[in-house]
Amino acid sequence: MVTATDTGLVARPAAEAARSDKALSPDAVVLRLRNVDAYYGSRRVVRGISLDIARNAITAIIGPSGSGKSTLLRCIDRMHEVVPHARATGLLEYRGIDLYDRRIDPAAVRRSIGMVFQQPNPFPTMSIFDNVAAPARFNGLIKGHGAAADVVEKCLKKAALWDEVKDKLRQSGTSLSGGQQQRLCIARALAMAPDVLLMDEPCSALDPVATLQIEQLMVELKASYTILIVTHNMQQAARVSDRTAFLTMGEDGAGYLVEEGPTGRIFTQPSEQLTEDYISGRFG
Amino acid sequence: MTAGKLSPSAIQDAPRRSMVRRRLREGDLLLRLVALVVTAGALAVIALMMFDSVRTAWPVFQNFGIIGFLTGQEWAPAFTVYGAWPFLYGTVLTGAIALIIAVPISVLIALMVTEILPPRIGQPVAIVVDLLAAVPSVVWGLWGLLVLVPVIRPFERDVAHSLGQVIPFLGPPTPGPSYFAAGLIIAMMIIPIVAAVTREVFASTPRLQREAVLALGGTRWDVVRSVVLPIGRTGLVAAILLGLGRAIGETIAVTMVVGNNPLVGGSIFSPGYTLASVIANEFNEATEPLHPEALIALGVVLLGLAIVVNGAGLIVRRRFERSAGRGR
Amino acid sequence: MAVEYLALLKPTSRARRFQANLIVFLAAVATLLAFVPLAAVAGYLVSQGAGVINLDFFTQDPPGDLSATGGGIRNAIAGTFEMAGLATVIAAPIGILIAIFNAEVGGRIGAAVRFFIDVLAALPSIVVGIFVYTLVVVAQGHFSGFAGSLALAIIMLPVIVISTEEMFRLLPRPIREGTRALGLTRWRTYLSVFIPTALSGIFTGLLLAISRAVGETAPLIFTSLGNNFFSTDMSEPMQALPLLIYRNALNSAYPAARDRAMGAALTLVAIVLLFNLLGRWLVASRRPGGRAGR
Repeated sequence: MVTATDTGLVARPAAEAARSDKALSPDAVVLRLRNVDAYYGSRRVVRGISLDIARNAITAIIGPSGSGKSTLLRCIDRMHEVVPHARATGLLEYRGIDLYDRRIDPAAVRRSIGMVFQQPNPFPTMSIFDNVAAPARFNGLIKGHGAAADVVEKCLKKAALWDEVKDKLRQSGTSLSGGQQQRLCIARALAMAPDVLLMDEPCSALDPVATLQIEQLMVELKASYTILIVTHNMQQAARVSDRTAFLTMGEDGAGYLVEEGPTGRIFTQPSEQLTEDYISGRFG
Repeated sequence: MTAGKLSPSAIQDAPRRSMVRRRLREGDLLLRLVALVVTAGALAVIALMMFDSVRTAWPVFQNFGIIGFLTGQEWAPAFTVYGAWPFLYGTVLTGAIALIIAVPISVLIALMVTEILPPRIGQPVAIVVDLLAAVPSVVWGLWGLLVLVPVIRPFERDVAHSLGQVIPFLGPPTPGPSYFAAGLIIAMMIIPIVAAVTREVFASTPRLQREAVLALGGTRWDVVRSVVLPIGRTGLVAAILLGLGRAIGETIAVTMVVGNNPLVGGSIFSPGYTLASVIANEFNEATEPLHPEALIALGVVLLGLAIVVNGAGLIVRRRFERSAGRGR
Repeated sequence: MAVEYLALLKPTSRARRFQANLIVFLAAVATLLAFVPLAAVAGYLVSQGAGVINLDFFTQDPPGDLSATGGGIRNAIAGTFEMAGLATVIAAPIGILIAIFNAEVGGRIGAAVRFFIDVLAALPSIVVGIFVYTLVVVAQGHFSGFAGSLALAIIMLPVIVISTEEMFRLLPRPIREGTRALGLTRWRTYLSVFIPTALSGIFTGLLLAISRAVGETAPLIFTSLGNNFFSTDMSEPMQALPLLIYRNALNSAYPAARDRAMGAALTLVAIVLLFNLLGRWLVASRRPGGRAGR
């Protein structure tokens, strides 16, 4: 797995750079979207998204429901096309690689760009241990039980779940509370050693305490990963993210990017009236 | 007719509501009563038939004892000796052969339709597989007798003379009609039901779980292996039980290809007999003392077996559906 | 591009790609395997039976001696339709009423009845034949078309109950609840509203039940027995297509019997397919309440 530290650039200033208003330097960008459209059949639901995602930072995508935020997210790890008749067009570059190039296997994309879903979805027939280990196992990243135990412990620690489950690793994944299950899913995604972590409203099914835990986790994780989070909770975006992108639904029924920038600026001095209206609660 | 369309006259009729209510209750009562009587009556008649059959067969059970009858290896009407074992053996053996052939094929077909093919192609494929079930048993038997048995005879002979030398169970004789031929025909007849139930089972895999595997970089096979099959385990058991339930009841097709030999054959290529096929074959010529009763006794055994296997299949299926509903 | 790709994305290993493709291959083989018998039987029947079929085949009765050529299957076709017809008349109202009972009386009793019906649906048809034999044939002292019809009716009953119940459940809620608001009695509701709306579905259930009953042999062997002559008398033994095919097939060493069996089998499959496909087409073309119904 290639992390930012491996490329020779130091990780820490990346988040600071992301938070500044200057244009992101090319080697601070991990994902480049240019004119991305998403369709369900012939219906366009996302229009002309052009966006740069900064590495080792948390970028929040906010907007009212129906603005295509989740759809856009799912385009990035090529999950959008899993739905029959769904497709995406445009340029989506990950570290210089066109992810929609015909030669690329979507499954390979998803091993570098992980996803955590809105509803925690641990595998019901597997234990906590197997939940974390299985994906890495079937992807051939770990072989043998010893290596698996190492990975499981490491990932559960990274997901801040280790202490709570270390004595019950053999229990079913669904025996945990909602917040714990979501952290389990995060641990599982981390076991794949991804570079980017996509989170689709990860806290919307959780209580406030669990939400806070996840938010803290995100801030810890951004040192090693790039995080892209879709949320309808503006306060969460303001709390947690370094950059924010605001999407809304246009008159044609498709979501489009209104504006994007450092979180501090977006929430205090938005350039667009629409952004200002949304943030002050006038719609959405 | 929708709830929103109350006619003005209905509202104005409010004062007469008490009378309407009485009539309503009577009308309701009448319907409920009729439905109850008819239902109870129909079920009672069927229960009566079951009871009558057992009563008719009772002398046989008395004579040989229930266990004695079930384990009796000799079936000789001329000597008034009746034992059900050869037929039980044949029923179970042909059922097992049918399952071994049909279940893997049905599971793969179900995977094909639910996981691999796009719905537009998958639907017609599912319908064609279901059409296999529409072919009448006697037509399967006709084709089996005149086409299948001659065609597989060389295959039977080859296996019997190779593997069969080492494993007597797979050995000669190979006259053609046999447990194996019957099992093969039954397999074709139960593929539709096993595939249909398995299809439903696989289709009910929660989308969230499938997407979880895909989002982790899994292939289609990973989805099947990690999520579809484990979650569908119970449902698969139900499908197998229901397939077996159908298999043990097949009569006419079996009687035309099983060889009609009331002895326990030594190999799967030997001619044999099943509960259903011996009843069909011997009933109209059953003139010996106790012969008809013995055949009806076999029918009772078959009935018991069918109730147990199908009942179990239905219960397991219901349990699976309930847990699948919860799992979402 | 290729070098970076390998470094930054984790391509699926060859082994796993092979596994995934293997499954697709095996599944395709299995699906084709399922088609082969269907095609084989269809092809065989058409090739062997088509030549036998002509107008005489449908308008004449078979000769007394199976091995003699000539004659037709008129009595069998007639008998099949007569017994299926009577069976439908018996089973349809009872089946619909049982479905109504289940829909009205839910809870444990409804579930128990439903379970009984499900088990009945899975019973071997020869067992049904035995039932009717012990109760009717023995009591009457002879085989009859009526006994055969009764056996077929018992076989059709679960199919009708299950599909009718399904139809009632699929009725759109506005219809189900709207009738209560109007103060209609349940009786009237069913007669004037539910049944007409669900009619196409009920009809489909009937067609599928008939297509099943028409193909049954085992229950008829010792209820209606079979008859070499054309008959409309339900109290006499009656011939049916499956019975005729069976008897001729057992004597298929004689070419005449063999041909007769082929022609009859082709006819039978055509009839069964007709009812089956008709039923499916009805379901596909008209759902209760139309597509916006739910």
